[in-house]
Amino acid sequence: MLKGFMNILVKELKELIRDPKILLGIIIVPLIMFPVLGSIMSYSMQSAQEQAEKTILLVLNNDGGNLSKYFIEVLNYSAKVSVVNNVTLDEDVVLDLLSKHNTTQFIEIPEGFSINLTKHFSDPTVKAAVNFYGVFSGSGIFESIGSSMIDSLVYTFNRVVAPDAVYTEKSAIIRGKIKKGIDPAMLSNLMILQAIAMPITIMILLQLSMQIAATSVAMEKEAKTLETLLSLPTDRFAILMGKLAGSILVAAVGALTYMVGFNYYMSSFTAAIPTDISLDLVSLGLAPSLFGYVLLGISLFVTLLSALALAVIMSAFAEDVRGAQSLVGFIYPLIFIPSLLLMYLDVNTLPFALRIVMYAIPYTHPILASKAVTMGDYWTAVWGILYVTAFTLVIMYAASRLFATEKILTAKLKFKWLRRRKRKPAEEL
Amino acid sequence: MSLAIEAVQVVKVFGSIHALDGLSFKVKPGEIFGLIGPNGAGKTTALRMVSTLLLPTSGMVKVFGLDIVDKAADVRKVITYLPEEAGAYRNLSGWEYLEFMARFNTNNRDEIRKIVGEAAEISGLGERLKDRAKTYSKGMKRRLLVARALMTKPKLAVLDEPTSGLDVLHSYHVREVIKRYVKECGVTILLSSHNMLEVEHLCDRVALLNKGKIVAEGKPQDLKTKFESENLEEVFAKVVGLA
Repeated sequence: MLKGFMNILVKELKELIRDPKILLGIIIVPLIMFPVLGSIMSYSMQSAQEQAEKTILLVLNNDGGNLSKYFIEVLNYSAKVSVVNNVTLDEDVVLDLLSKHNTTQFIEIPEGFSINLTKHFSDPTVKAAVNFYGVFSGSGIFESIGSSMIDSLVYTFNRVVAPDAVYTEKSAIIRGKIKKGIDPAMLSNLMILQAIAMPITIMILLQLSMQIAATSVAMEKEAKTLETLLSLPTDRFAILMGKLAGSILVAAVGALTYMVGFNYYMSSFTAAIPTDISLDLVSLGLAPSLFGYVLLGISLFVTLLSALALAVIMSAFAEDVRGAQSLVGFIYPLIFIPSLLLMYLDVNTLPFALRIVMYAIPYTHPILASKAVTMGDYWTAVWGILYVTAFTLVIMYAASRLFATEKILTAKLKFKWLRRRKRKPAEEL
Repeated sequence: MSLAIEAVQVVKVFGSIHALDGLSFKVKPGEIFGLIGPNGAGKTTALRMVSTLLLPTSGMVKVFGLDIVDKAADVRKVITYLPEEAGAYRNLSGWEYLEFMARFNTNNRDEIRKIVGEAAEISGLGERLKDRAKTYSKGMKRRLLVARALMTKPKLAVLDEPTSGLDVLHSYHVREVIKRYVKECGVTILLSSHNMLEVEHLCDRVALLNKGKIVAEGKPQDLKTKFESENLEEVFAKVVGLA
């Protein structure tokens, strides 16, 4: 064991954990971030719903009664309806119809709809059902719109006819198979969580960790405790590793807090899956397998390590905490841009040059890994891990060299305009 | 017996600035040696170099016969360094800070307890050692750090402006501790100060530093006699041609 490593590590943990700014960052922020994220998503869904109302609604009428025709008339007020009569709900037939009408969702008015609705007027316990089917392909946010639109249309119909006269049974069509009782909106929401929440989580985690590491070194420089440390009879590499390990552990607590919040958020959607339906989220491309989670964890860890080492190097060029945070701020675009871009876009759809740039940025890889392992593509994650590990080793080597020399104390980013303004006396160098 | 410090023609260049420009001096074991001079004279650079934090651009520095470049790790085993206006870890208590520092010298619990007990006595902070360092006044913090620098009884303690910014009482306490430690434990002290009156009372010998060079060196009394001055401030003014 490196001499002094444990000593530095314990000190680091005490220093970091007791800093109220860090506690605020890793405990309070996640608890605020997820509700805000939920609100933003809800707003986006609303806007998308308005857009979806302009699309064609396919209605398969297997009832033929007057009330079903009236139901279609009511639908016509709010949506562009295309009606096909008497269709057997065979999977091939349904897919063919959807393709012909260029849509991904339809409503079936089953046989007996008019009879049940008529009975409802004398016996309110009898209700008429309409069946909603939506194709789930995992393509985007608009997939969930049809489901909420039909709720709104049925609600309108019930207001005209009688409260709760008609109810909706929803089913999803997944990979050409009809899955009865699964609301496609719920699946879409899970998919959106994967596409948006993971990059955001990774983005914040990386940013937070870099801030912790940079602040830790800058605080030592500012308080001149770093000078004291470097003059002690201990391995300087142990000092570096102790600092990095302390930051990683605090960041890991942060990651855990995020995952708890994330899991809580996820559970609000998965709770909507009926318990009697066996739905394998992994096979649907909605959740990573255990191996996928392991790869994702490794990817996140090596990326975190490279980010921390880079933050340590950057902060070595600063004279105080504020300076260090400003310098580390220059790296943030390399974290934010891939995160935001990959929320909405597939990296393979980008122009070649931009794709190379994205792959070159190490912070892209855990986001790519999170998407890849969810889809069962493990090689993308593995290559990413190898690349980031190589990058991390280079950065770690540079950081250890920096700690081994006087540069850790004397390195400074110099700007010409600053040099013109003031010249430091030799005493302060 | 080897010298505690031997610096020969030391030059340190930062970009276009010559922080040290042919600095040479010798310090004997058990001596309190003071580098004095105005801001920017090169005192801190010299002290950092002796503490193995900076490398000389040219020249040679040895601490108890150990070269600070080739034997830096060995030098660090026999010295302690107190930077100017250094802080302690804000969220550690004074006691935890001292324990943290003691662990770099030994893993033996009894020895750590003994070292920290010694530091507690030197600092005179008593029960306040249980409080976090962020609650300490500047004087208390300095006393804690001086105690840290002396508690392991190093062969050489390098103290940069040990009483800088302290009030009369705290300064007096720190000076008394330094004197007592040298006498009782045989520790060699290299210190810097721009408070020449203070150094006059504390140091066995002093070197007056100006623009990276020693312009005069000797016992405070000898220097005053030589330059027919009442105090070292006057000596310095005469040496650099201000008077």
